[in-house]
Amino acid sequence: MEKYKPKVVCFSCKFGWGYLTDSATLCAQTKNFIPVTCTSKVGASHVLEAFRHGADGVLLLGCPEGKCHFQDGNFRAAKRMYLLQQVIQAFGLEPERIGIRLDCDPAGSDIPQYVHEMETNLTKLGPVRLL
Amino acid sequence: MPKPKVAITWLGACGGCDEAIVDLNENLLSVAEAVELVLWPVALDLKYQSLENLKDGEIALSVITGCVRNAEHLEIARLLRRKSQIVLAMGACACFGGTPGLANFRGKEDIFNWVYRESPTVTNPSGGFPQTSCQVDGNTLTLPEFFDHVYTLNQAIDVDYYLPGCPPPPDLIANALNAVITGDLPPKGSTLAPRKALCDVCVRNKTKPENFEITTVKRIYEVEADPETCFLAQGIICLGPATRAGCGETCLNTNTPCRGCFGPVPGVTDAGTRFLSALATLMKGEAGSDPKELIAAIVDPAGYFYRFSQPASLLGRRTIE
Repeated sequence: MEKYKPKVVCFSCKFGWGYLTDSATLCAQTKNFIPVTCTSKVGASHVLEAFRHGADGVLLLGCPEGKCHFQDGNFRAAKRMYLLQQVIQAFGLEPERIGIRLDCDPAGSDIPQYVHEMETNLTKLGPVRLL
Repeated sequence: MPKPKVAITWLGACGGCDEAIVDLNENLLSVAEAVELVLWPVALDLKYQSLENLKDGEIALSVITGCVRNAEHLEIARLLRRKSQIVLAMGACACFGGTPGLANFRGKEDIFNWVYRESPTVTNPSGGFPQTSCQVDGNTLTLPEFFDHVYTLNQAIDVDYYLPGCPPPPDLIANALNAVITGDLPPKGSTLAPRKALCDVCVRNKTKPENFEITTVKRIYEVEADPETCFLAQGIICLGPATRAGCGETCLNTNTPCRGCFGPVPGVTDAGTRFLSALATLMKGEAGSDPKELIAAIVDPAGYFYRFSQPASLLGRRTIE
């Protein structure tokens, strides 16, 4: 039997993550990597669409607290994702399937590691089992 | 010239939509004058067998209310689809699953255990469940299969038009029936209701603050809401920003916030997540503060946001094979 390898979709803010590296390189080093202008542009429906299309987890990488290029987009995203974590539990999904990290990594070299950490945690949870 | 044939039926429904049709009052007489009703279980004694005897496509319009919960619902829906030129999904249950769709947050086994075994008002020493077939005195009795999921009508059959609401208001019902009778119909798949969001037509909109900052979330029964102020500005969850207008604002007029029975505005497939995104933005919080406490005050957010639309939601939708 083939070993289960979770799929992570990573939405990443262009202002805090990997802006010193070109998108092609970032996308090559991380599968399902989606650069966005601000994490607040990631709606709850984008995250649920990702699950619907086979993702096992969704990771948002936003700017550090107080450092959003658009005032408080990262904080808005954090509120939204926390509320979404509550909602997905009712559908049978574990809240750990949605992760958000507010930090800064201009080269984007740490992104694969954060995605890998999430994959490790998701491996323990196993595949998505909707109610 | 023969009158166009019309069928009205309920699947997994409470009968409120039929009541709304009755609320057409004297207009119902002109409808009855213009069409030949071939089915309306709540009002007329007509048999399914008489439908079977009709030619395919002989019914001009079938108005179907309610969700698809069991095998009988599916059979009737498929029969009416075959016999009808136009199928109108009427009411929140037919359009989005409605409140019965909240049962999708539990499995069939959980539901049966509660309803037939564990509920404090149930006495069931043998612990039996309803079966699709059983023998009684040498006879075989049958029941339709209870599905493990609540489906919207368009997950079971092809639907031509939608009229949401719990129930839809009589004026929109009359408009829909007139449109069919006169042939003045919008493109297939249209929702026969306004395209705006409820907030756009809400009289309380003018009291909406410039910058929303919800500091505490309250439930409507916990407070005496100001009858003129925006509910969200009072910290009471109101689904108006993400819900289609056209309901007649009966809830708002009785000082009750919108629960979302008219479903999403055009272009949105999942009303719950759209509202979730809006609400999270409106909640107060400054960078560095922890929003978890405020958000934790929302009791049963999934049930609240998907009160009428769980089976149509991104994670909850399925199609009957």
